[in-house]
Amino acid sequence: MSISRHFANLWHRLPAMLFCLLLPLGASSQSLFADGFEELNDKSAARFLDQATFGPRLQDIARLRQLGYQAWLDEQFAAPTSLQKAYLDWIRLTLQQGVYQSQRQEAWFIHASQLYNPSNPLLTHNDQLRQRVAFALSEIMVVSDKNAALLFQPWALADYHDTLARNAFGNFRTLLEDVTLHPAMGRFLSMLGNRKNDPVLNIRPDENYAREILQLFSIGLDQLNLDGTPVLVGGNRVPTYGQDHVRGFAHVFTGWNFINCTVAQYSDCAPGNPYEEEWTSPMAPVEAFHDNTTNKQLLVYPGVALPNGLLIAGGNATQELDAALDNIFNHPNVGPFIGEQLIQRLVTSNPSPAYVARVATVFNNNGQGVRGDLKAVVRAILLDEEARHGHEGVPTTFGKLREPITKLALLWRVAPGISINGRVFRWSHVRDEFGQLPLSAPSVFNFFKPDFAQPGEIRDAGLVSPEFQIATDTQLVTAPNYLGWRIMLFYVGSRYSVVWENGAPVPEETLFDYSALKLLAADPPALIDHLNLVMMSGRMTPFMRNLLITRLNGTPPDNIPGQPSGAPQDVPLWRVQQALYLIVNSPEFNIQK
Amino acid sequence: MNFNRREFLRRSIHSALGGATLFSALGNLQLMAAAAKAGNGGIFPDYKALVCIFLNGGNDSFNTIVPFDATHYGIYQATRPAMAINQAAVAALALTPQPVQPGLPGGPPSDGASYGLHPSMPELRALFNNQHAAIVANVGPLLGPITQAQYQNGSHPAPPQLFSHDDQANFWQTSRPDDANANGWGGRIADLLFDGNPNQQLPMTMSLSSQSLFQRGASIDQYVMSANGVETIDYLGTYQNQLGAQTFNALIADGVQAHMFERAYARATRRSIATYQMLQAALNPLPTWTTPFPNNSLGAQLRQVANLINVRGPTGLNMRRQIFYVSLGGFDTHDDQLLTHSGILATLSQAMHAFHQATVQMGIASQVTTFTASDFGRTLSTNGDGTDHGWGGHHFVMGGAVRGGRFYGSMPSLLQNGNPDDAGYGQIIPTTGVDPYAATLARWFGVDNAGLADIFPALGLYPSADLGFIAG
Repeated sequence: MSISRHFANLWHRLPAMLFCLLLPLGASSQSLFADGFEELNDKSAARFLDQATFGPRLQDIARLRQLGYQAWLDEQFAAPTSLQKAYLDWIRLTLQQGVYQSQRQEAWFIHASQLYNPSNPLLTHNDQLRQRVAFALSEIMVVSDKNAALLFQPWALADYHDTLARNAFGNFRTLLEDVTLHPAMGRFLSMLGNRKNDPVLNIRPDENYAREILQLFSIGLDQLNLDGTPVLVGGNRVPTYGQDHVRGFAHVFTGWNFINCTVAQYSDCAPGNPYEEEWTSPMAPVEAFHDNTTNKQLLVYPGVALPNGLLIAGGNATQELDAALDNIFNHPNVGPFIGEQLIQRLVTSNPSPAYVARVATVFNNNGQGVRGDLKAVVRAILLDEEARHGHEGVPTTFGKLREPITKLALLWRVAPGISINGRVFRWSHVRDEFGQLPLSAPSVFNFFKPDFAQPGEIRDAGLVSPEFQIATDTQLVTAPNYLGWRIMLFYVGSRYSVVWENGAPVPEETLFDYSALKLLAADPPALIDHLNLVMMSGRMTPFMRNLLITRLNGTPPDNIPGQPSGAPQDVPLWRVQQALYLIVNSPEFNIQK
Repeated sequence: MNFNRREFLRRSIHSALGGATLFSALGNLQLMAAAAKAGNGGIFPDYKALVCIFLNGGNDSFNTIVPFDATHYGIYQATRPAMAINQAAVAALALTPQPVQPGLPGGPPSDGASYGLHPSMPELRALFNNQHAAIVANVGPLLGPITQAQYQNGSHPAPPQLFSHDDQANFWQTSRPDDANANGWGGRIADLLFDGNPNQQLPMTMSLSSQSLFQRGASIDQYVMSANGVETIDYLGTYQNQLGAQTFNALIADGVQAHMFERAYARATRRSIATYQMLQAALNPLPTWTTPFPNNSLGAQLRQVANLINVRGPTGLNMRRQIFYVSLGGFDTHDDQLLTHSGILATLSQAMHAFHQATVQMGIASQVTTFTASDFGRTLSTNGDGTDHGWGGHHFVMGGAVRGGRFYGSMPSLLQNGNPDDAGYGQIIPTTGVDPYAATLARWFGVDNAGLADIFPALGLYPSADLGFIAG
């Protein structure tokens, strides 16, 4: 950041800073910004950023307070898109090293934690909101490297994530088409290579993609009201489609393969190498395998463009795909179905029907007659009265369990992650410890389902808690252990053998830079209050705060892990580690509220 | 069908946890179930375990159990020209079924064909031919028996959203296609019988393969553990960290969280700790198995199940009834089926064999019954190099109590055209419901008639509530 821009920031911050000084601590301002929202204090800004980013740093809080919500959103909408594929290309072409799925993981963390990017040092990854929405979309329109056909295709998956990021603020119709034609999806749900009927061989079009695009990516199984509640007829739910419709779409989705594929090679057009353009280019039609002789039954709903939802035979693969995606896109379920899941990923597991209806209304029409404008949808989700104040209305149930992978992303924002050469991991990448990694779900049904309800109090209350599905007895041990391993041993100056070799840090391993936090650690309450703001939006209870301060005032062990032998006892280091570990594994932190 | 009643039951059970189960219908059933157990204050006198192997993705059982006599192979080959297993390879793994016993179900396949197993399954073939395993034909979720005509003209209800993975897998695991909120039938058995275990802290239901709907209960929550052993929270055992451990425990203590989700998170963490402490103590040292388990995920899961069963006694986990859930993935063979299916069926066959041998080694083969389940069978028709989501499919049951070496139920036709079992596009209409399949296992496990009626409310719609594949 240049000096002049820095001053400009300060200048804009001044009124807000002065304003806060005049208010008693904790009193929320009733004053309004020009955009109609009340003045932000540090806590309310941090809380918003907890929903819209991978965690608020002090400079993020300052920026938001300076701009206000609307201008901050506009800035995020305009920020350049961070792309994973470029990072993989750099490793292959410049470093001439192997690229596997863990390199995709590196890129994800560089973007989410805004780490230094060695593939393009001038790049600063400022598209936090885009990356968070893309991650949310990756849990709705799922492809996964757990699938054997994609395990060794890191470029395909990186480019798929990039596709979600590019479309995060675009139109849902475009997103749906880009997802449909991506070769990663084509392989994952076997639309790639799908072919028309062959009565001699008793071959029928594959129904896999047809079923999942309807059930999971767009409309769901049951007809929904605008507010996301199911339409009931005689007390029963009403299906959105049946087997005839699945069959219709399956016939539409025939004749698609990798680019550069020919009729003769149709059954085997896969390129020889994972970095070849076939894996990152939209699939292309091979008309000889497209069904152009049967009428296709597509969805039927009020106002459907196709008469009785019937697509009359004769169109080519592209024409029919367009018609079918239009048919899905205009179904009234899409707004509430997708809107509610995005709310769940960003804000709260149990939005009120009215909140869902407000978001779905914006999906249906962004105010300028455009349907499916995701920029407007994201804005509506984050600026909704319920997103901003729901925790005051229903303080004991509002919010969501944090996703495990985001906890490491957050930690590298709280204590900056740095490595000597900019790489993120040598051997220490996340494996199964979190039960979750980007684009690595066990199946198309994601890591967790939107309606999972944790047995016990949550389920008895009729609420859902999707992320609890992976908070298994196992993960509740392995995730704290993995995070603890990194907090206790992966820090600048550590002599731990995994990060320190031959008298120097291992260049590829990302270490926590605790220097700023250690300055605060001389005063345990100051350290806790700071971490409370950037990790918990200032919502830590006095009970927890007192426990932590007592802990930090306790006695360190004789040997702090990773310290060189004979070094003087580094009490500030130990305090920072204890505070981070205890907060990141506490019930209070783990519920984003 | 009766959401309010299920909801009521769930609430009453939950509120009664740790207290009296007064006035709750299931509470009464639990009392009755307890009374039905011989002596010991409702504690089961013997040990039994049910092991569910879920084949994720929908196993193509029509390529798992294949006819090889000329007539039936000809039909099969004509229907699946692009996907047929080699005739001689199937014949090499021929199944030799036991003759019918008068008055008892089971015997040679109903269609008179000669069947063999997929060439990658020699171990399972030996288990069948040695009468340690049986085949239950064409099982799938139903709302009572249904004919082709009834299905096609809609005159009899069928489960909603057939052919969808999620839904059919759910139906298999709940056996309640009529109730989207139902618990799993393994979990419902545990709700009913949990007080038959001397150890009340360890759940009757354990999953080696993440949260399973099959084991979700109203009052009993499955324990999910890793196949690779018991991992403990490092921080709590760190040297000179007593105050740290105290702080960690104080933050997750009962009664200190204001937010419902925080309480749930704290409760889950406490439970995880209490259970791993118990398991860690019990599982040390580990036994040596004379038949090695295959070195893959299913092998590791079943080895861990064997390890757990091995310490069932009073000096170990002190359990008398346990239900285990393991799974094997990759069965959604839309692509490259001939290649991928071979590998996973080999894994299944080898792992089941090793597990059975472990139960023999422990001397409790007749007290452990293993069964397969899957999302669905696959379509008879193919998509060129794979098959699509179907409905009914064949399944294996294994154990010393199983009346093995027999086929149970009706083998479907494999005809491409004019097939009386075809729902319309090569999806085979099940002739045996999940209800009687599951009820047969549950009855053996110790659920009485009243309990069966509660767990499987549609059971009365079927000609028999007991398929007879377990002795006694």
